[in-house]
Amino acid sequence: MLDFMFLVFGGMAVLGALVLFGHPSIVHGAFALVLSLFGVAGLYWTLGADFLGAAQLLLYVGGVTVLLLFAVMLTTRDVARPQMGRYVIAGVLSGLLVPHLLRAGSALVAVVGGSDGALPDPQPTTESIGIALLTRDAFLLPFEAISLLLLMVLVGAVTLARRSPEEES
Amino acid sequence: MRSGAPRTARLPALRRPLSVALAAMTGLAVFAAVIAHAQVEPVATDSAAAVQTGIASRLSSYLAVSGVLFVLGLATIVVRRNAIYVLMGVELILNAANLNFVAFARFGGHGLDGQLFALFTIILAAAEAAIALAIVLRIFHDFGTIDITRTDSLRD
Repeated sequence: MLDFMFLVFGGMAVLGALVLFGHPSIVHGAFALVLSLFGVAGLYWTLGADFLGAAQLLLYVGGVTVLLLFAVMLTTRDVARPQMGRYVIAGVLSGLLVPHLLRAGSALVAVVGGSDGALPDPQPTTESIGIALLTRDAFLLPFEAISLLLLMVLVGAVTLARRSPEEES
Repeated sequence: MRSGAPRTARLPALRRPLSVALAAMTGLAVFAAVIAHAQVEPVATDSAAAVQTGIASRLSSYLAVSGVLFVLGLATIVVRRNAIYVLMGVELILNAANLNFVAFARFGGHGLDGQLFALFTIILAAAEAAIALAIVLRIFHDFGTIDITRTDSLRD
């Protein structure tokens, strides 16, 4: 069952990324990104991270992609198709990168141990995440820092996107 | 604007299937290679103990998906000229990193730390997307385009 879910969600993630990479229309690309992010959320669930999967759905699938579509609606006019040379560059980069990724991945699997023995069944994580976020020795400082950052982002985004007063007149 | 635009307009019939086929071939080749690697790797290690060998109970299968997402995100950033596509590629790369965090938290036995890191990364990615899209709107307002090869007025 878990294998089936992994294949479904992993396939969704990879397929969405492929369509985003290859499809000429940016709106199709944005919805393919939704598919891919949903697949990643499903992979979180297969890993036993229920809270994180829900947060991924809310923040990415709900928030970021709507923001992206909004920007698409407000901006896109005539951006030319990618040239063939860029595909060549991407192909060469990927070809150089993939062997290193494979080697690093197998080294990490060797260090961590991969699948030696049965894993414990996943437990609900929401309560422990909440406790860890509000414990001083754990993640309280990053939690407060990121709330400050979110405030700065709120103000900064409004300031950047707003038209300046002399343009209005 | 320059010579690029009419040339792409003249060859849509050839260019589109070619690029899509190229993209599909690249992605499928990467996926096949990584999955094949993920299949081979654990069989050698746990042949002695007959533990569960499902594909979802292996770290390497998650690393495979994460690697594919990373490579496709990087390829999207390199290939596209629209700034919003570049941001989408960045989101894909961040998701690949997050998937690694969660997978290592699950298989490495370090409790919830990996999940909390991934949670903070998600929040940071949302903040990044908000600011970056505000900047994109600003660029569009000032330059009239969001083609990243044409917004180069500082170069002159």
